Amino acid sequence: MPARDLLKEQMPRATRWLRLTVALGLAGGVLVILQAWLLAHIIDAVAFQQARLADVQAWLWPLLVIFLLRAAAAWGSEQTAFRAAGTVQRALRDRVFRHIQQLGPAWLAGQRSGALAEDLTRGIEGLHDYYARYLPAMTLTVLIPVAILLVVLPVDWLSGLVMLFTAPLIPLFMILIGQGVAAVNQRQWKQLARMGAHFLDVIQGITTLKLFNASRREAAVIARISEDYRHSTMQVLRLAFLSSAVLEFFATLGIAIVAVFIGFRLYQLDLPIPDLLAPPEVSFFAGFFVLLLAPEFYLPLRSLGTHYHGRMEAIAAAERLAAILDTAPPAPPAAPATLAAKPRLTVCFEDVHFAYETGREALAGVSLSIEPGARVALVGPSGAGKTTVASLLLGFIRPTQGRVTVDGVSLADLDLDAWRRHLAWVPQNPRLFTGTIADNIRLGYPQADLAAVQAAAERAFAAEFITRLPAGYDTQVGERGAGLSGGQIQRIALARAFLRDARLVVLDEATASLDPASEAAVQRAVDALALGRSMLVIAHRLATVRDADRILVLDGGRIVEQGKHTALITRDGPYRRMVSLLEPAA
Amino acid sequence: MSELLRLWRLFRPYRGWMLAGYAIALVTVLANVTLMAISGWFITAMAVAGAAGVAMNYFTPAAIIRGSAIARTAGRYFERLVSHEATLRQLAGLRVWFYRHLEPLAPARLQQYHSADLLSRIRTDVDALDNFYTRVLVPVLVAVTAGVGFVLFTALFDLRIAALLLALLVLAGGLMPWLTRRLGAAAGRRLVERQATLRRLAVDGTQGLSELLVYGAADAHAARLDALTRELIADQARMSRIEGLFQAAVGLCANLALFGVLWLGVPLVADAGLPPPQLAMLALLALAAFEAVAPLPLAFQHLESTLTAARRLFAVVDTAPAVQDPPTPSPRPAGHDLRVRGLCFGYPGAARPALDGVDFDVPEGQRVAIVGATGSGKTTLFNLLLRFWPPDAGEISLGGAALADFHGEDLRERIALVSQQTHLFDTSIRENLLLAAPDASQTTLEAACRAAQIHDFIAGLPQGYDTWAGETGVRLSGGQARRIAIARALLRDAPILLLDEPTEGLDAATERALMEALQVLMAGRTVLMITHRAAALADMDRILVLDAGRIVEQGTHRELLDAACYPRLLGLDVTALTAAAG
Repeated sequence: MPARDLLKEQMPRATRWLRLTVALGLAGGVLVILQAWLLAHIIDAVAFQQARLADVQAWLWPLLVIFLLRAAAAWGSEQTAFRAAGTVQRALRDRVFRHIQQLGPAWLAGQRSGALAEDLTRGIEGLHDYYARYLPAMTLTVLIPVAILLVVLPVDWLSGLVMLFTAPLIPLFMILIGQGVAAVNQRQWKQLARMGAHFLDVIQGITTLKLFNASRREAAVIARISEDYRHSTMQVLRLAFLSSAVLEFFATLGIAIVAVFIGFRLYQLDLPIPDLLAPPEVSFFAGFFVLLLAPEFYLPLRSLGTHYHGRMEAIAAAERLAAILDTAPPAPPAAPATLAAKPRLTVCFEDVHFAYETGREALAGVSLSIEPGARVALVGPSGAGKTTVASLLLGFIRPTQGRVTVDGVSLADLDLDAWRRHLAWVPQNPRLFTGTIADNIRLGYPQADLAAVQAAAERAFAAEFITRLPAGYDTQVGERGAGLSGGQIQRIALARAFLRDARLVVLDEATASLDPASEAAVQRAVDALALGRSMLVIAHRLATVRDADRILVLDGGRIVEQGKHTALITRDGPYRRMVSLLEPAA
Repeated sequence: MSELLRLWRLFRPYRGWMLAGYAIALVTVLANVTLMAISGWFITAMAVAGAAGVAMNYFTPAAIIRGSAIARTAGRYFERLVSHEATLRQLAGLRVWFYRHLEPLAPARLQQYHSADLLSRIRTDVDALDNFYTRVLVPVLVAVTAGVGFVLFTALFDLRIAALLLALLVLAGGLMPWLTRRLGAAAGRRLVERQATLRRLAVDGTQGLSELLVYGAADAHAARLDALTRELIADQARMSRIEGLFQAAVGLCANLALFGVLWLGVPLVADAGLPPPQLAMLALLALAAFEAVAPLPLAFQHLESTLTAARRLFAVVDTAPAVQDPPTPSPRPAGHDLRVRGLCFGYPGAARPALDGVDFDVPEGQRVAIVGATGSGKTTLFNLLLRFWPPDAGEISLGGAALADFHGEDLRERIALVSQQTHLFDTSIRENLLLAAPDASQTTLEAACRAAQIHDFIAGLPQGYDTWAGETGVRLSGGQARRIAIARALLRDAPILLLDEPTEGLDAATERALMEALQVLMAGRTVLMITHRAAALADMDRILVLDAGRIVEQGTHRELLDAACYPRLLGLDVTALTAAAG
């Protein structure tokens, strides 16, 4: 969907408020005409009819009322315009964010999260001026000049003609220049997003940079990026300002021509032209009235020029947002199948293939099953496809061939949320979210009380270190757990899984980066967790796999061996070779 | 107000640009007001002359009108150009300024910040500072000079009209900005904080999406984002209400000035104290003069946002680095042996110290392993060795020179680290490798990658070393990323090597291969390795067992097998052990 269509599509939300904005803007315009009319009368009376203050009071007092009404109309149109934009922004941010969620982790892997954050924050903010300023200005640019022309033409048709002919030149030139700007502007916005992504990358890797004494070199890179940004921005602005200048020029020219024509007719200069072509007579009142209106006639056009920048910014932002929204999420099943109220949860992979890139299969025909209550361990060298198996099971990706079924129903036909309600997952590098430790443990069960949270932490062997923290469960943590060690974060993630009380637990190298003493403790916790649940463990430790009901040995995207530890160890296969590497002493 | 002063100082290098921006803006405002006032005068004067049938010089006013029309158009164009050029230059400078202050704080002092929050600071907050220049500094200067000019000019004709104009200009350009600043302060401060929170939620919500989805929390997170947007819009709406109110109020002031000029001027004209064209001129001048003060209420309304942004930047900039570089040049160490004596360290706010009196030596070229339970202080020890944190007590010396006498960069030049977390930057694999040795040739890179056993993998990728790594790049497994880290360390070619659980989380085959790569890396270097892998430990010259910040046992793998803690930490139970030994 082109960016423009996205912007248009949002219109219905804004229309109600925008109509009010335009109505108030038009009311303001009419009031300006009235004001000019009164003012011209006053000056005319004072200058040519020797009027005293008392004589012009009948015009002065209404003037005061008009001032107040104009102020009210200005305030009102500002408010309604803001509402229009605010409504759209809020709806669109929610929609884009939820769409990103639907696209899921598989899509996200190819995106720069810094750039996405930029789109969600500044990109959406960038739409404000389009709805609040540009759109109302668009309509008023037609309405107010027409209203003024309707008044001016009967009073002085010559001035009216001047206005009528100069006005269309303005949008014409603006469009001509604007087209060039739009293209440059697109590039500009992309560069802005890149800059955001780069900064996030630098900040997240600043310790690495420092280790290599490269962080100062990075200062030069930041300087260069900012400089490049300046260059390209100025390139856009020079053009954009040029279009404004052209617009200003024509507006000023228009006013000047009107003023000169009026001035010379008032001076009653004898021009050597035939009577037929003689300009119409004009009274001072009419002349001054028209002169006061001339700047107001061009004002909407000028402000449209100013807000045109808002339109370009919005289109550039909408371009990025549309690109996100255009990416179709995996289609949800038309009529999602439901699992039984108490499903058995037998999971089967039936000849599953999967490729992240075409031509490079990560899984090349995997068949496996996880029976209810079974503990299945996946082992194999890195890159064998273990994580891919977990991603398929969690519904992040779909098989390119073959299918994954739960109790005989294909995962593709299931409502993923409903399916995931039965799952808990402890990934390789668990992420903590901004909030307290208790909130983080509650992630999958927000209504759990503190006692339940504590019990879960207890079972994950996390309670001990949490209670030692000064703020205990209320300790605020950040993305990488700020101050918590890898092992501690892992145990918080395990506590999540405990609290979730899921039927199927996926552990992805869950015991990595724990020292053996803690690992043994966690192992006991995992054993407890496994009771009465199915479990898929991606593991490298003998201790983790020894008790598994079945071990699947993956290599090159295929299962090359499977069975129980006791059986596999007696065979001269890949498993035994792996174990001998694991336990050199054995 | 001290922030204002600091901001002023920050902008000092750009004084030339500011002056130019000010001059052009002033000319533009003057031209515009002149255009309005002279036009009014011209028309009336022409009409009066025409009616009376007297001649008048219309060339001069016509020329002034033309001149000011051109000056206005050109002025607007150049004013925008100059102010934006100046702003962008300032922002580029400020970003580097902020980064230079940020960098020494990593990693010790940055722990408390979310990366998205720092991103907000270097992006949005730095951008917000430009408000200070374009919306506050220059407009205030222009308003004051132009305002004084208008009042003085009016005073040439009538003092009472001038006094009225002055009063209304002060009301619109002085009192109203003061009011908007007060009214907008709370919402302005909140806006900055909420925008930063929004960005944090956006980063959390994307980078942590997998977990949110599996735990069914994605919807709640979206609702949180939406609620924050609502709050943000509520604050913006408040700002917009204030903005609209004062915009209308300034307009009203302008109209009242017009009204006042007529009220005071009409009797003057009637008494022949003021020619009619002059009344028309003064009336239109009064109306147009408010263009000079019109931007001020809005600028001051948002001043608090700017100041909040400035405070957020200053907060980071003012943070003292955890470790100060000494004023003297770094010493030249005699050799690369490490000596640690009485080392104590506690993290701020922690209940107990992470290191509690640690003594040990690593002779040059020796390999020493550290084992210990989670939280026993192993990683802390590395942080102190890298001088990311200063010790609370005790001393570390390198080749006889105290670590505290080294500049951070000189010290880290001698140290390479391979840790569990390898940050791969969002650029090519080659660039990621060059980080360690910017001048390395392709041959050197390949040699390092061969030794780290990752060359074949990289060469097998369609784009080879130019393959994109990092967030959007090729999917690298944990082992592959670790091997790139080893290649980096090889390229670094530092005499001291710190290895933080280099094989954790890897499968057996990978680990074995990685250990071979590590052997190459360790050759001839002073090595400290955190590990629990028996395979690695057996090869070490000495092993230190850390527990609760103290060294409780030390010796070789064989010697320690009978000790109290060591076998338990390795997960070796005694029966398995005797079987293995037998």
